[in-house]
Amino acid sequence: MIEFKKHTLPNGLKLIIHEDYSTPIASFNLLYDVGSKDENPDKTGFAHLFEHLMFGGSLNIPVFDEHLERVGGENNAFTNNDITNYYITLPAENIETAFWLESDRMLSLAFSKKSLDVQRSVVIEEFNQRYLNQPYGDVWLNLRPLAYTTHPYMWPTIGKSPEHIKNATLNDVKDFFYSHYAPNNAILSIAGPVEPNKIIDLANKWFGPIEKRNISKRNIPQEPTQTSPRKLEVVRDVPFNAIYKAYHMCNRNHPDYAATDLLSDLLSNGKSARLYQRLVKEKQLFSNVNAYITGDIDEGLFIITGQLYPTTSFEEAENALNEEISYLHHDLISEYELEKVQNKFESNFTFEESSTLNKAMNIAFYELLGDAEKINLEVQKYRSVKPESVRHVAKMLLNENNCSTLYYKSSK
Amino acid sequence: MLDRTKAPNKITPGKILIPKNQPVKLANGAQLIAVNAGTQDVSKIEIIFNAGTRYQNQALSARAAISMLSEGTTSKTSQQIAEMFDFYGSFPEHSFDRDFASLTLYSTNKFLSNSLGVLTDMIYNPVYPAHELDIFKKKGKQALIVELEKVVTISRQNFFSTLFSNQHPYGAYATPNDFDILERGSIVDFHNQFHSSNNCLIILSGKISDKEIRIVEENLGTTHFGANKNIEPATLPQVLQTQQKVFSYKNDALQSAIRIGKLMFKRNHPDYPKFMVLNTILGGYFGSRLMRNIREDKGYTYGISSTFLPFKDTSVFVIGTEVGAEFTKNTLSEIYKEIDRLCTEEVSTEELELVKSHLIGEVLRTFDGPFAIADSIASLYEYNYLDYSFYERTIDTINTVTPKELIEIANKYLNKNDLVESVAGKIEND
Repeated sequence: MIEFKKHTLPNGLKLIIHEDYSTPIASFNLLYDVGSKDENPDKTGFAHLFEHLMFGGSLNIPVFDEHLERVGGENNAFTNNDITNYYITLPAENIETAFWLESDRMLSLAFSKKSLDVQRSVVIEEFNQRYLNQPYGDVWLNLRPLAYTTHPYMWPTIGKSPEHIKNATLNDVKDFFYSHYAPNNAILSIAGPVEPNKIIDLANKWFGPIEKRNISKRNIPQEPTQTSPRKLEVVRDVPFNAIYKAYHMCNRNHPDYAATDLLSDLLSNGKSARLYQRLVKEKQLFSNVNAYITGDIDEGLFIITGQLYPTTSFEEAENALNEEISYLHHDLISEYELEKVQNKFESNFTFEESSTLNKAMNIAFYELLGDAEKINLEVQKYRSVKPESVRHVAKMLLNENNCSTLYYKSSK
Repeated sequence: MLDRTKAPNKITPGKILIPKNQPVKLANGAQLIAVNAGTQDVSKIEIIFNAGTRYQNQALSARAAISMLSEGTTSKTSQQIAEMFDFYGSFPEHSFDRDFASLTLYSTNKFLSNSLGVLTDMIYNPVYPAHELDIFKKKGKQALIVELEKVVTISRQNFFSTLFSNQHPYGAYATPNDFDILERGSIVDFHNQFHSSNNCLIILSGKISDKEIRIVEENLGTTHFGANKNIEPATLPQVLQTQQKVFSYKNDALQSAIRIGKLMFKRNHPDYPKFMVLNTILGGYFGSRLMRNIREDKGYTYGISSTFLPFKDTSVFVIGTEVGAEFTKNTLSEIYKEIDRLCTEEVSTEELELVKSHLIGEVLRTFDGPFAIADSIASLYEYNYLDYSFYERTIDTINTVTPKELIEIANKYLNKNDLVESVAGKIEND
């Protein structure tokens, strides 16, 4: 159970404070409600490039990191399809430094040409390092546009191609900033040995003077229901074949979300899970298998993937996966197996809450989902899933008409 | 009116409390350290053995010995073990390196007794079934073949085998073929000899009461296991390091992976704390010289860092990065320039102050929460013989070291003509 205090500033900034005196370190987490789904299809990778630029100096503070280092702080950020999240951990005595730094870059960036030139290049190297110069690194660049025809989840957060990043201009950057970075489009959460009233005072002092901005209402095109199987084969210089199957699933707030998550767990969370036991150990068709959900806020994907042994054909591999799926369509899972994945979920959740930074990140994210209070209902929600609802989800989701299949073929 | 150009006053955190948990010797000779901290009813148990790859007679036997403990005992199959851990919501993990192998269990306190019971059975009664070994080999070989496609793997392996020679246990790497010839007998022997109660430290951390300590004692502390003698580390061959460059060409590489470095002293050496400060300046944090120059000024890379990597009998200083293939040459020359600068120019007081503040923050984070404390104790056991004064000396050096002392350390240990350089990928015009 995480207890917290909520407060909203007149300019719309939402503030959530969680007191935790078990650590000398405070966590300061600022979530902006903007992700790669908010990008123009011709200018992808922008939300993430922008995250890099947020470290290139703000209106009154030319260098971000140094000031934080000076008070023993550390920081980083991540961008995904839905959000851009900045976080700082520092000795709690110096929490005001975090307010000073984050409020100035919310007020305005320096918009330096040098910073843009350098970060374009850095992000292109990140693109190379993580997606293009790795075996199987470009899977998502192929799978997303296969699975999505319309919704902006069709491109990965890094962008469709390095070209889009090369072409970014300073004007694009300014536009992006003023349309998405604003107190009324952000959630600030703070966890650690902090006194809530002092935090509210600091928030008023540093963020209070920033004016509300005009954030246009999100208008994201809905993905039409998929009605027939989609297949794609790519040939790459990798040593082994691999298969990826992507099924459309419900959104993050949908009542079926927990059952869908547990369905993926019983397929592949832990060594006792079905796919590992049957396909890696018994039948020995795959060297590894995995099933997971992307966890997106809008309608995301349920992924099943595996790397084949040289002696396994794509047909055998796919038949074996489909056989496992047909069991899920026909047979109710046992109470025991359900309890096992529920236990695992609860334990994982408890371990996550042993980190103050995780707590700060999670309360901000649940607030974005509608209400931070939902975090305390999560375990109960997963506990209340019934075998029938798991089978119902398996039937709805795991069928070929709802599936995009990628054969990733070795050229060797 | 709010002055946003002015930083809030810095408040220096009070004295850092260094935990000094002492080991207790259990009835069977194993040592136990308990760390009680944190808010959640969870615990972590790590069992560290002096059982790294340096002790093996056949490649992969140290790794198979620790990782296959979960593949079957005299009373449970691999699948039954996996079912039990998963049902208890526990996460068993294993790791191994050149010097050590360890088993770790994360569990809620509610299921600690159950899940530790399974872990205990794995340590006392493993059987290493032949059919499970076949799967281990098949999977492991395939994963290694994929791993060897990465420039970062190639440059790292070339670096260490050049530094130590591939005859030395710190420079040897398993090949895909080693999986084919691995024998069950050598795994069983390795387990019997090296996974023993005389030869391990158990660290229990989390929200710990007498009850949790008793559960650990009852499971792992009463009956002796493994060979009944202490492990004398084999004397490692002498290494004579010379400057060497190795290059491995990879067709179609978009990036080159670079490793540059040298052998260093052990971590308990009196010069370590000063060298650690020097390393931080060079490449040990986000604002380091290498990051500012090669990433934040030139945009050649997503990241670059330098590290002091401790081993039990030596250490390695290594700079690592992946850069756009077209920037390989420039990056190399900039790296050597930065090393030169450390040896010729005194660091400014301003930069040094910044690094000192950063490092004090790092030390605080080292003791943030039960699992961080447990990790710091583990490394203190591995590289400093549980000498807790190491942290006091380190903090003391951070606070007092001067630019003059740092330039001396740089000249003593960082000579650019004395480094091993390994590049995998492409170098333009070559």
